[in-house]
Amino acid sequence: MTEATENKTSLRARLPAPFRRIDPAVLIAFGCILLLLFLGSLYSSNFLSLEYLLQQLKVASFLGVIAAGMMLVILLGQIDLSVPWVMTMGAMMACAVAGFGTGGMILAIPFGIFCGMVFGLLNGFGVAYMRIPSMIVTLATNVVAQGLMVLYTGGFSPQDSAPEAMRWLATGFIIPGVPNAILVWAAISAAMVFLLTRTTFGRSVYGIGNSERAAYLSGIDTRRIVMIAFAVSGALSAFGGVLLAGYASKAAQAMGDAYLLPSIAAVVLGGTSILGGRGSYLGTVAGVILITLLQSILSVMQMPEAGRQIVYGIVIIVMLLLYGRGPASP
Amino acid sequence: MTATQSQGGTPLFRMEGICKRYGGVRALEDASLAVEGGRIHAILGENGAGKSTLIKIMAGAVVPDEGRMLLEDRQVAFRSPAQAARAGIACVFQELSLIPDLSVADNISISNPPRRFGLIDRTAQRRLAEEALARAGAEDIHPRTLVRDLPLSRRQMVEIAKALAWKPRILILDEATSALTAGDVAKVFAVLRRLRAEGLALLYISHRMHEITEIADECTVFRNGRNVASYAAGTRSGSEVVEMMIGREVSGVFPPKPQRHRESPPVLACDRFGWSDRLHDITLKVRPGEIVGLGGLDGQGQRELLLGLFGVLRGTTGNVSIDGVATSIASPGTARAGRIGMALIPEDRKTEGLMQPMTVRENLSFAALDQLSARGVIDRDKEERAIDELVRLLAIKAASLDIPVGSLSGGNQQKVVIAKWLMRRPRIILLNDPTRGIDVGTKQEMYQLLRRLADADAAILFYSTDYDELVGCCDRVLVLYDGRIVRELEGAGITERALVASALHVDAQAEAAA
Repeated sequence: MTEATENKTSLRARLPAPFRRIDPAVLIAFGCILLLLFLGSLYSSNFLSLEYLLQQLKVASFLGVIAAGMMLVILLGQIDLSVPWVMTMGAMMACAVAGFGTGGMILAIPFGIFCGMVFGLLNGFGVAYMRIPSMIVTLATNVVAQGLMVLYTGGFSPQDSAPEAMRWLATGFIIPGVPNAILVWAAISAAMVFLLTRTTFGRSVYGIGNSERAAYLSGIDTRRIVMIAFAVSGALSAFGGVLLAGYASKAAQAMGDAYLLPSIAAVVLGGTSILGGRGSYLGTVAGVILITLLQSILSVMQMPEAGRQIVYGIVIIVMLLLYGRGPASP
Repeated sequence: MTATQSQGGTPLFRMEGICKRYGGVRALEDASLAVEGGRIHAILGENGAGKSTLIKIMAGAVVPDEGRMLLEDRQVAFRSPAQAARAGIACVFQELSLIPDLSVADNISISNPPRRFGLIDRTAQRRLAEEALARAGAEDIHPRTLVRDLPLSRRQMVEIAKALAWKPRILILDEATSALTAGDVAKVFAVLRRLRAEGLALLYISHRMHEITEIADECTVFRNGRNVASYAAGTRSGSEVVEMMIGREVSGVFPPKPQRHRESPPVLACDRFGWSDRLHDITLKVRPGEIVGLGGLDGQGQRELLLGLFGVLRGTTGNVSIDGVATSIASPGTARAGRIGMALIPEDRKTEGLMQPMTVRENLSFAALDQLSARGVIDRDKEERAIDELVRLLAIKAASLDIPVGSLSGGNQQKVVIAKWLMRRPRIILLNDPTRGIDVGTKQEMYQLLRRLADADAAILFYSTDYDELVGCCDRVLVLYDGRIVRELEGAGITERALVASALHVDAQAEAAA
């Protein structure tokens, strides 16, 4: 094992400086993006137009925001399965609050995110303090959120159309030509990179993901870190829901269902170890773009829905297999 | 081999010239052993003398690097425990290997259940279990009982029955009685005597000297991976045996111990400290500049004591005071912080000390991140400087600081574990067997370092399974037995003989001789 590591290092050392620190998985993911674009351009030259690419980035930004939170949790060696309904809840609550006059309008987005954060804290509490496996806790809170939303929409018809602010955030333009959703995603990405590489919180997340025991014995307050990571994941899920509702102009039941698998897949395709402790945020960005492009190309090719899902699933499995043979953690 | 051969032929099982290395560490070096049917053969030796490796090789759990094994003069090689068991060698291990939620019968035939039409034949399985239990003298245990519902001593009987179900000709018992009370031990001994009468060869490993005197026919002493002496049981006195187990001189690898002034008040003190049923009434004091050793056999509560002081264990009793002020330490986070300034070098560097896949750099600064950052943002220059300083101070050898720490040698990994704590400049340093599995050169550097830290007024509490180290490094040594401090040795009174004698709880004459 030692020899292998040294070989890898020396090989990496020969690369030009800027590439030396990049995870090979990230390079593979970006390579796949280029390959997909190339295949798409054979089908239609539209695939390389600036308009199409910006449109894809806009669609990717909803997934990107959610995957950022998911990545934190996966780096810890945990998982957040409450994404679908926390997302829906964030969107619905934001729309509902917007129904209460001007104050509601201002509070709409923060309140939606706040609801997501509360659910994230619940998840974190279950994992860190009650020691329930995250797969169980988050599955359960997902169902609770679903129940609450069904209850909420069951008796009467609440406000469900997205207020102006939400639409603007998702589809407006501060910079002409670049949808705001992309800017939001970029801002969150910048914050994530800073968080993961420059702060004690980020370092602790990697530490816990590699060995929670060692991190705890190093004096890290592991429970606090886990709580925060889940809270951020919940908040970002809800924020993703808010953006999606702004894009679609309304919040709807089950609007988040299509985001659970892609958010996990994006993180893992980007080279983050599903067991935690390893991965770079750049990889997650690549994974998000890759998945969005894949979905888009499959639908543009007018493949029937059933076939699309099969191809989509197989591609994810194949890519994960490729990574599995790659530089596995020692 | 001077072993008298009772039944006239060749021994039932022989091993010759066995060598086994783990990395740079020699566990066994040209070891040999011969066992005969109808005899109980005891194996003695200090911690790390090679006993467990030897029996693991016999039982097929470890493959030797060199040497050969002969079963009834036919050469054999085992690749798995199942293979060894089929050849007639079964082992009762120290840690219970039973699965609590399965029935006794399921456990007994777990690796080789009787099958009918591809399914487990429950009737046959039950018959098998009943037979094995009867041979183990535990007919009263019903095969359908869940192991979970049995008390510890009964479980040990099931463990023996499980080994007997293979119908072995050689039965190895590795510390099989360490969990039992005197009454249960007597029952086990009755069973062993009957098995001996049936012609089985029994290999008996225990740290309890009086048990060996009581039951063994022959004894072999291991030291430093070799068998150094064999003798018929009862022909050597307790102190002679201890002498054989130690048998080497304390080499000059340790830094000189300075004369200490003992007036300075203790930094760390605990009073009637206890935890669960593993620690009782521990009262100790550690002064600045002092290296206090923890001795005794493996697993007498030393680890729990260190973890308890460091705030890892829940529900400890008694008082801990720092600088004379009663202090409650609820977590490692509290223990390492400001006023207390405690550090723990944990036992297992692979899972507890380091994050193996993370870089050397990240590991080095991990425990001191709070001191290297402002408002949660790491000051990279400060981090860099602190890392450089420690890499130089401890002479850590790494191709680069950006490679995974797991790719360093064991000795360098251990240096990283210590360096990451020294970065905090701790006042109290707890070490849990820090030199296990590292090379001699690094060990010596480690001893020098400990003394330097002590001279800089750190208070050091040092657990080691190597008696040599305790003698060479420590100003005082506390010997633990069964979760209690049974002896305190000081200055010239710290000798290997005294340590071994008090660790084994041997008779008073050995102590008097020391």
